[in-house]
Amino acid sequence: MTPTKLDVRGEICPYPMMRTASALKRLSSDERTLEVVTDHPPALETIPTQAARLGFRTDIEETSASEWRLTLTRKEAETEV
Amino acid sequence: MRRAHPVIMDRMTDERVSVNTILALTAWAAAAVVYVVARAQDTEFAMFWVFGLAFGFVLQRARFCFASAFRDIFLLGHARNMKGLLLGLAVGSVGFALVMSRQVPLTGLGIYPPSANVLPLGIHTGLGGLLFGVGMVLAGGCVSGSIYRMGEGYVASWVAFAGVMGGLLVSAYTWNWWWEAHIATAPRMWLPHWLGHPGALVVTLLGLAAVYLWVVSIEHRAGVVVPPVSGVRPQASSQPTANTQTESVADDLRLTLRQLFVQGWPVLPAGAVLGGLNVLLFTAREPWGFTGEVSRWSIAMASIVDVAPGPLAGVESLPGCVLVPSDGLFFNHMLFLVFGMFFGSFAAALGAGEFKVRLPRRPVRYAQSLGGGVIMGYGAGIGMGCTIGAFFSAIPSLAVNGWVFGAFLALGAWIGTHIIQRIE
Repeated sequence: MTPTKLDVRGEICPYPMMRTASALKRLSSDERTLEVVTDHPPALETIPTQAARLGFRTDIEETSASEWRLTLTRKEAETEV
Repeated sequence: MRRAHPVIMDRMTDERVSVNTILALTAWAAAAVVYVVARAQDTEFAMFWVFGLAFGFVLQRARFCFASAFRDIFLLGHARNMKGLLLGLAVGSVGFALVMSRQVPLTGLGIYPPSANVLPLGIHTGLGGLLFGVGMVLAGGCVSGSIYRMGEGYVASWVAFAGVMGGLLVSAYTWNWWWEAHIATAPRMWLPHWLGHPGALVVTLLGLAAVYLWVVSIEHRAGVVVPPVSGVRPQASSQPTANTQTESVADDLRLTLRQLFVQGWPVLPAGAVLGGLNVLLFTAREPWGFTGEVSRWSIAMASIVDVAPGPLAGVESLPGCVLVPSDGLFFNHMLFLVFGMFFGSFAAALGAGEFKVRLPRRPVRYAQSLGGGVIMGYGAGIGMGCTIGAFFSAIPSLAVNGWVFGAFLALGAWIGTHIIQRIE
């Protein structure tokens, strides 16, 4: 299953984090990951924190200049593997 | 809290770093040319240009955002930026107290330090702080935050700044009413008048410590987690990182330069540096602040199309960031400070590879930035300053108005936090 994607590029502070948190809450229970694309550097701190509170782990990858892909993975899913 | 930037930067290729370095050096060279030209006109222009560059550089490197300092306490239960802000206030307070104790050695005579931000305290202070707090959260940044983000390429921040200019102009139309009804008769309350300099400083530092304890308790209640960000595994890279042994002086130097110019700064040193810069600027002439200057631009533009507000009562008698009527001149030392902040952030963002033109895709964000900016501008007009002039420079002035403005900023930010969650 391809992971759900969320593109929050161009968003003003603090919407990259807020929209990510909302998207995580909307994920159905069988979805394990959410991919977020952002160009807002402060979100590289706030998203992992909010994600952890909702039970997700964050991987950050810089995809181009000032753009990052964050892969948020459900923690239970990880332990099942 | 370990910042995410270092992790990311470790993985940046050498070529990218070189390109960014060349871009940044070009920008700094241009800044040096402006310095030389400005100095030929007026040494004060050049000095304020350098201060502006330094403020902009530090704000960008640490992403020192006053709006998020207040907002994130309520939105996230985070106090990262607030802690830096409190340290900056503490450093500023010690330095300002030293300067003011020379300016006004005898505090029992009812004399005020000439350039400190001891402002008339009244309803306008509270309402100004409240509006400013709501506006900055709506717009996603206060005035200084918008200026450094303009330098990073955030288009919404340009819109917010335009809103601030509009709001300041609107406040200028209503200024004379505020002056007559409230400001002219409002008391200026300076703690050293009652407590002397040492007592006022101790009370201020205790107040800051109390706020620190409050925000730390909020963090604990929110159960802050600082998760291990798993982009952390550094890719094979020749870059020295903080965890590796450096081998030569050249490596050490490279690491230091990288920490200063490429990696994000931790917030505490940034707060201390901003507080220190503020003390230096106060020693040189006046505390950090710029909404008065921005209002001068708005009023000058309004007078071009013949809709300028008339004479502003009482403004010459007030220190700080009070509205400034247009003087018909283009240049002014404060103009160099504001442009310096913008350009310092721009050069810093180039060097770190963080410059990018960012356009919001949702139309509502433009409305939000503009509306938030107007509300902020109006608040700054009647409150005689923004998060800098009426707060970051006012608490170190040992003035009661700084605390009142700050408390209402927090209340405004709390209201703003509820509003932004409804327009996601």
